[in-house]
Amino acid sequence: MNRDLSLLIGILVALLAVVLLWVFHSTLALDPGQRLASLAMERLPETGVSNPVTAVLLNYRAYDTLLELGVLLAALLGIWSLGPPRPGFQRAGPALAAMVDWVVPLAILTGGYLLWVGGHAPGGAFQAGALLGAAGVIMRLAGHANAGLPSETWQRWLVVLGAGVFTLTGLLLAFTGYGFLTYPPGQAKWLILLIETAATLAIGVTLAAAYVGGRPQPTAPPPPPLVTSASAEADR
Amino acid sequence: MTTDSLILPIALPLLGALLATALPRIAPLLGVLTAALTAMSGLWLTGLVWVSGDLSIVLGGWGLPLGIGLSADGLSAALLAMSSLVGLGISVYALGYFSGSERGLHFWPLWLLLWTALNGVFLAADLFNLYVMLELLGLSAAALGALTGSRDAVSANLRYLLVGLLGSITYLLGVALIYTAYGTLDIGLLSERVEPSALVSTSLVLMTAGLALKAALFPLHFWLPPAHANAPAPVSAALSALVVKAAFYLILRLWTDLFATITDAGAAFILGALGAGAILWGSWRALRAERLKLLAAYSTVAQIGYLFLFFPLLQALPPGPARDDLFAACVLMAVTHGFAKAGFFLAAGLVQKKAGHDRIDELGGAAQSMPATTFSIALAGSALIGLPPSGSFIAKWVLMQSALETGQWWWLIVIALGTLLAAAYIFRVLSRAFGQEPTPQCFITDARAEIPALLLALASVALLGLAAGPIWSLLGFEGVQI
Repeated sequence: MNRDLSLLIGILVALLAVVLLWVFHSTLALDPGQRLASLAMERLPETGVSNPVTAVLLNYRAYDTLLELGVLLAALLGIWSLGPPRPGFQRAGPALAAMVDWVVPLAILTGGYLLWVGGHAPGGAFQAGALLGAAGVIMRLAGHANAGLPSETWQRWLVVLGAGVFTLTGLLLAFTGYGFLTYPPGQAKWLILLIETAATLAIGVTLAAAYVGGRPQPTAPPPPPLVTSASAEADR
Repeated sequence: MTTDSLILPIALPLLGALLATALPRIAPLLGVLTAALTAMSGLWLTGLVWVSGDLSIVLGGWGLPLGIGLSADGLSAALLAMSSLVGLGISVYALGYFSGSERGLHFWPLWLLLWTALNGVFLAADLFNLYVMLELLGLSAAALGALTGSRDAVSANLRYLLVGLLGSITYLLGVALIYTAYGTLDIGLLSERVEPSALVSTSLVLMTAGLALKAALFPLHFWLPPAHANAPAPVSAALSALVVKAAFYLILRLWTDLFATITDAGAAFILGALGAGAILWGSWRALRAERLKLLAAYSTVAQIGYLFLFFPLLQALPPGPARDDLFAACVLMAVTHGFAKAGFFLAAGLVQKKAGHDRIDELGGAAQSMPATTFSIALAGSALIGLPPSGSFIAKWVLMQSALETGQWWWLIVIALGTLLAAAYIFRVLSRAFGQEPTPQCFITDARAEIPALLLALASVALLGLAAGPIWSLLGFEGVQI
């Protein structure tokens, strides 16, 4: 980029920062208005979970979260549309391979724990999914070309699982008269756990597949038996 | 139960996208079925708004301000009807365009996600939910634009993606400011609470600037021509006809609804002046363009400019029938452009496929052997120029009348120049279609691809021009007063 242009952009961004700081100090710092946190805490017991973050993500503003799963899917579909992935890394040496054998199961186990604990403490589908994704990244770094992911058909079903269960739950609730994503009293906890479990799997597979970085390749068929020139001669 | 149908135009394409992802082999079939259902649900909702007025719902049973609201008024319904019909046309066309190609496999799920986000923007009543929708819209649009896989397409759409992210982050900054001050994200609640202050003005400027970047308002249009011109034809149609409209719709919503008490004549004049710049620059570049799709893309820059000319006039007119007419004309202009530009891009795609290129100077033979397609380009072109009886003729008429009434005569010069330039670039294309070769006997050569383009172009001229009245009644206004 041209130097003058980058200088101009720098000056403009600095001016914007000054204006924002001035606005912040002249209004908000003097009079922080009423926000939604107190209201959200007040109604927390009705949400079926005791972790306020999970309550916001999966109950108060579940619709936003559903679409964020859509955003993740769009990103992955965009990556897949750009062609096959680059070849993976070479097989890990014995030390790294031994570590991977330990770390990957641990990451999956911890992911499961985070999913469950999200109901009452920091955790939840996105954190658990990120751990699953990380397990996939480690596998690929250690030389597993497809990051330990199943076949393309399975990957496709798994990446839509989160948004799929979410939407179907929402529509089912709408058809049974509660309203889209309005959990019936007392059922919220189990419905949230169901949605979060599906979302965890979907997020984990999506992140790992995004790291692989291309449309899943069919697992290579076993190489055709070698026809040596000698045996070809013999056939004649 | 009727308010529950607000979710259908969003949930149906989302489900379709998920199924098309999971079952790639039957994705085209699923795509067209979903398109039909989505269009039906959108039109059904438009009908509901027509019959029973504004609809709204708060999801999750928490009420405002904890839950997220969805709402449909006349403005939303008009744009929803546009996205339904244009989306259906694009889907039917895409069935033929992508048949048997690997790219079609990627097209369907992304296109249905794009449609989800579009309908989501038109129906959202929550500022943060709009941000999520804009992200989904921008991401799926950029991925679709790069589907041809060519170097130009990928680099243009990577730039589109980054520009779109900058736009939505700027918008989000504005949302964060206003949420911190007023403690709600619902547009209805906010519009009752906002009072003029430095914070609200900053927030309006940030949100408008971010969205103007996404709407490709001159001089922030630089990303649009390469991104739209290098995409596959159905995608170009969706990007130019629908996606930029989503950002424009949101600016209109913010200025006339949420911040109606904050906006002033000076700020509106700036938007109008940028619109005027867009009209002149976009039309000039369209006239100079060597490729048909690039011409269409620059024409979009110009047409977006017309939409922004409405702002200073809407600001100047006091509430009353004259302002209602102008507002309806603005919606009519946006909807007409949606139909016309979709028809134009779809037809241009057919010419490009037939000729193997889209260099305007060498298109004669191909254009002449496809009478229906050339006719579509002519129809869509007449709507882009604003010839009677197209919808944009009525819109421009009301626009010019309001400019005279408010004494802002200088916009008339811009409109006149823009119209002349538009006529020049359209006739430059059409003049190539009358060569020496014998005229073919049959009007339609490839029904599945040509008919959607023809119907969309026809709608922009006949449906919206001769029957513009419904737009007025949908918005809840009295009839046209010309």
